[in-house]
Amino acid sequence: MRTTLRGSRVLRAALLAGAGLCIAGSAQAAEPLVKACAKDGQFVIGFSQANNAEPYRQHVNDELTAAAKDVPGFTLQIADGAGNVNTQTSQVDNFITQKVDILLISPFEAAPLTPAVKRAMDAGIPVIELDRKTVGDPGKDYTAFIGGDNYKIALEAGKYTAKTLLPDGGETAVLEGLPSSTPAVERLNGFKDGVKENAKIRVVAEQAADWVPDKAQTAFAAMLQAHPDIKVLYASNDMMAAGALLAAKGAGKDVKIIGTDGLPGPAGGIEAVAKGDWAATFTYPTGAKEAIEMSKKILLDCATSVEPTVTVETTAITAENAKQLMGK
Amino acid sequence: MSDQKISVAASPSVPTAPAARRVDPLALVVRFQSLIGLVLVAIGGIIFSPRRHGEILFLNPDNIANIVRAVSETGIIAIGMTFVIITAGIDLSVGAVLGLSSVVTATMMISGGFGLIPTILAVLAMGIAFGIVQGTISTRFRLEPFIVTLAGLQAARGLALIVSGNQYINISYGDGPGLAPPVFAVLGERLFDNTVPVATIVFIVFAAIATVVLNTTRFGRYVFAVGGNERAARISGVPVSMVKIAVYAITGFASALAGIVHAGQFNFGSANDGMGYELTAIAAVVIGGTSLFGGAGSMVGTVAGTIMLGALANILQLNNITPATQLLATAAIIVLAAVLQSLVRRREGLGR
Repeated sequence: MRTTLRGSRVLRAALLAGAGLCIAGSAQAAEPLVKACAKDGQFVIGFSQANNAEPYRQHVNDELTAAAKDVPGFTLQIADGAGNVNTQTSQVDNFITQKVDILLISPFEAAPLTPAVKRAMDAGIPVIELDRKTVGDPGKDYTAFIGGDNYKIALEAGKYTAKTLLPDGGETAVLEGLPSSTPAVERLNGFKDGVKENAKIRVVAEQAADWVPDKAQTAFAAMLQAHPDIKVLYASNDMMAAGALLAAKGAGKDVKIIGTDGLPGPAGGIEAVAKGDWAATFTYPTGAKEAIEMSKKILLDCATSVEPTVTVETTAITAENAKQLMGK
Repeated sequence: MSDQKISVAASPSVPTAPAARRVDPLALVVRFQSLIGLVLVAIGGIIFSPRRHGEILFLNPDNIANIVRAVSETGIIAIGMTFVIITAGIDLSVGAVLGLSSVVTATMMISGGFGLIPTILAVLAMGIAFGIVQGTISTRFRLEPFIVTLAGLQAARGLALIVSGNQYINISYGDGPGLAPPVFAVLGERLFDNTVPVATIVFIVFAAIATVVLNTTRFGRYVFAVGGNERAARISGVPVSMVKIAVYAITGFASALAGIVHAGQFNFGSANDGMGYELTAIAAVVIGGTSLFGGAGSMVGTVAGTIMLGALANILQLNNITPATQLLATAAIIVLAAVLQSLVRRREGLGR
């Protein structure tokens, strides 16, 4: 192993000096976030994705790819962390080695990816965090956060259950994601807090089904055996809601199912609600369009600062609006 | 790499062992297959590396550091796994024990308020104990290690969930209750002017010790003897059961060590960590020239195999090539390594 550091700093300085396309404003003007920014420049955006194996994340990749295609100077590179903090860390390091112009990241877990994000920031690469945060504050420890709020989305689902689906009370159940993962914990807590609005509602069963439909089917079938009076099931993602539907059909029960994510396409939640299979699903917006917009501001418009937190709101997809949203 | 000497199995004095024979060129290739592979991947890396202002990114010191850091945890596990596989065993519990160890490390330091050294010693002891239990069950009841360690995998994940209360545990540093000593975070840093990752140093030191143990001690010879021909080893006075229990204790220790490194690198413990590491480790061992039939293997080969897989992943990502390609390339390399070994075994008349 060589242990000498080459003059990469000198190199970077030369690079920046060479990029004399920046604003020729007064010396007092705030520096743009990326000095090499230019209206007609060519830029590489590195996206460090947590885990391509999850359909929701594939959906994020698709939306990002589509949004980046519309910008002539942008090249998007997606690295798949494969649900492993070690793999994802090394991929972020690779992006830093490549000196991408912007790093987008959906960290698989918060604390483990924090040092890697810091390294990117230290290397002068703006970091936009998508859907999940690392430790620290947006605008300081990383450039910005764009995403939904897991807890709030599940809270909405809980309130919807309390007010609309079960106004007279009854038994409900929850299918949790992968235990001890951040979104699983937040969605579980959110739903349970949401149904507290109605004192007559009881959460009689919670089971983890690791985000996957087959485990959800098994778990919900067992729940229905033990609690035949379950009226509403909250599934922490669309995949598990799909599995739960099979279990409900198998048991001959009419259970109102709520999904989360609101994925498009033939196997997605929007269609399931439109067909009347589920009562509702609450979208978890990807923030992909917003992320590419923000990248344009930084790289093309030479923004000196950006909004540190952009919360994309959830939409409740119910029987009323599902059909209109199908084509979108 | 430090030493390039690879020792072959010190043939135990057993009747079926072939006598000294002419050196078969193919056998030489197999003996050095992972080193050759590493060199080939490195050459490929240099050829296909993106360049910036004439600099080959693949050879950038930061990039080399990324590669060796990323493989540290699976590397540590693969070193332990090499001992087990040489005895013709297998340990599927290693990734789960890594997860369990990361959770216990984080819990002890955060809510337990145990100091750094007691935590590390306790976690390492736990790993060793886990291995001893698996080894004992396997030898005592004559069960396939595959089955026993499969159960061990489930048990370790279950224990990890219990210990962590189904939550992930963040490690925050500082001085006071509920905070870990800041020195622990050094596992995520780089030494020597910010060049050499500490995780890699742990990996290489462990590899060096393991190489010495395997190649120069009586215990090392016993490991080869048990894998080469168990009955013959028993007859010639090798304490077979003890050796077997010991190798599972070693993988337990290695998994616990990797779990500690994991917690320190990522300031975090989660029951889900280390999933699938057992297979990555087995792949590195097999590519390194260790036979799943037991009796032959090389520690340096394992280290080279580990780094080779990391370098392969790195060069593909630098070129923005999909993970699918990486999986297919790894598959091809594993098959090639196994085929080469099988050819040599057949030439030596050892059959399949």
